[in-house]
Amino acid sequence: MSTAFSVEDLHFTYPSSKTETIKGISFTVQEGEIFGLLGPSGAGKSTTQKILIKLLENYSGRILYFGKDIHSLGSSFYEEIGVGFEMPVHFTKMTAAENLNFFSNFYQNKADVQGLMERVGLWEYRDIRVGEYSKGMKVRLNFVRAMLNRPRVLFLDEVTNGLDPKNARIIKDMIVEYRSQGGTVFLTTHLMNDVEQLCNRVAFCVDGRLHEISTPRELKMKYGKREIKVEYREKENTRSAVFPMASIGENEAFLNLLKSKEIETIHSGETSMEDIFITVTGVGVK
Amino acid sequence: MKTTVKLLLGELKRLIRYKILPVSLVTALLWFALFLFLSREESFFIAPLLIYVDSTIMVILLVGAFNHLERQDGTISTMMVLPVSIGSILTAKAAASMMLALSSMVVTAAALYFIHNLVFDYAALFLFILLTGVSHGAIGFFLALNTRNFSSMLGLLMAYIVVFTLPTILFTFGILDARYDKLLMISPSHSAETLIRSAVTGMYNAGIILAACAWLLGLTFVLYRFAIYPKFKRCGVRG
Repeated sequence: MSTAFSVEDLHFTYPSSKTETIKGISFTVQEGEIFGLLGPSGAGKSTTQKILIKLLENYSGRILYFGKDIHSLGSSFYEEIGVGFEMPVHFTKMTAAENLNFFSNFYQNKADVQGLMERVGLWEYRDIRVGEYSKGMKVRLNFVRAMLNRPRVLFLDEVTNGLDPKNARIIKDMIVEYRSQGGTVFLTTHLMNDVEQLCNRVAFCVDGRLHEISTPRELKMKYGKREIKVEYREKENTRSAVFPMASIGENEAFLNLLKSKEIETIHSGETSMEDIFITVTGVGVK
Repeated sequence: MKTTVKLLLGELKRLIRYKILPVSLVTALLWFALFLFLSREESFFIAPLLIYVDSTIMVILLVGAFNHLERQDGTISTMMVLPVSIGSILTAKAAASMMLALSSMVVTAAALYFIHNLVFDYAALFLFILLTGVSHGAIGFFLALNTRNFSSMLGLLMAYIVVFTLPTILFTFGILDARYDKLLMISPSHSAETLIRSAVTGMYNAGIILAACAWLLGLTFVLYRFAIYPKFKRCGVRG
C-alpha cells in the first residue's frame, strides 16, 4: 500500500485572520485506510480538508498526493477524488437524477448511479426535485454525489449527520465496502460512533494542532482502565465489584463471585472514544 | 471547450428551471404588446431603449438573482470539486448571460419586424447585444457576489440605476444635453445604449463604436479576472 496523502508541517492563516488556523500539522493517510480527523467545531479539521482538496491555497508546508505535490496537480485531480460536503450542495430546483447526470457528465470514470441510488434508497425518488427532499435524503444524495466518479480517495465531512440509524448503517456499510475494494477515506466528524465503527486510524485536532494519532484500539488500550467491573444480584439489590484485569484468572475473589452470585453484567474497563478525546485534548466533543 | 459547452448547457437548463429565462422572455413579450399600440415611428424611436433595458438592467437583475439562488443551494462548492477549471465555469456563466440578453432581443426584434416591418442591422445588433449581455452579466455577477442576499443586491442595483442608467434615459429623451454624450460613455450602460442605437438606426461613428466596444470588453475582463474570479473562489470555500 502506498501513501495517499503525506502532510508535512502544514500551516495556514485565513486572509481575514491574524492568527494561524492550522499550526504546523503533519500526518499521513495510507491508501486503503479510513483516516478520521476528529475535533470540536473550529479546531481546523474542515480547513485541513479544504486544503487537501485544493479549495484553499496559500498554505505553507508540503502536501503530497501519491507522491506528487498537490500544487502541481491540475483540475484532473478531481477525477480521482470524491468530496461529500457537510452541507447538502445540489441544485434544489432540479431532480436528483438531473443533478447526478449533470455532475457525472464531467467525469471520465462513471459509477453505476442506479446501483448507488438503490443502495441508499433514493432510486424511486430520483425524479423528485431536491428542494422537496428531507434532510436525510439530501445527506444520502450527497454521499452518492461523492461516489459518482468511483474515486480513489473519498473525503467525507460529517457523513452520517442527520441520518436515522438504519440509513446511517447503510452509508457506513458502503464506506467499509469501498475501503475493502481499495478505496481511501478521509473522514472528518464529531460523531464518535462513526469513528469507532469506521476508522482504521484517527487524529485529534484541537486549535489547529494534531494531538494523538493512532488506531482506535490502541487508544482504548492506552487510555482505558485495565479492570473488570461485575454487577451482580444480592438480597434483591444490584451490587458491583471491580477487579484488576492482571491475572484475573487467578483472582479468588473474582472467581468466587462468579460461582456464588447471580451475575447481571460483566464489563471490561474499556473507555469510549469521547472519553479519550476529552483526556487527550482537554476539551469536550461538540 | 467540450467541458465549457457542457457547463453552458447546464447553465441554460438551470436558467429555465429557476425561471430566469422565462421571466426574461415574458418581459420581452410585454414590449411585443406595447408595439401593438405604438406607431411605426414611435416604435422605431423607443426600440433601442427597450432593447437596452432588456440587455442591461434585466440582465444584471436576472444574473444576480440566479447567482443568489445558486449560492443559497451551496452549489459553488460542488462545482469547484469537479474536474473543470474555474475559468471554464465562469466562461459558461458569461456565455449564459449573453444568451439571456440575446433571447429577449430576438423577441423584441421579431415583434418590430412583424408588427411594423422594421428591419435593423441584425449582424451588428447581434454582436453588440452579446457584448452588452456579457458585460452587464458580469456586473450582475459582481453585485451578487458582493451582497449577502437578493434584497441587498436590489439595493445596490437601484444605486447602479440612479448613477449609470437614469442619465442615459434622460439623455435619450433629450432632458440631458447632447454635449454630455461623450462624458456619459463612462457609464457601461450608456456605452451599451450607444451601440444598440447605432445598430437600430444604422448610423455608426467608428470612433465611438470602437471606444464603447473596448470599454465594455475591458470592463468585462477586469470584473471577471480581478473581482469575480477571486470572490467566486471564496464563495466556493465557504460553501
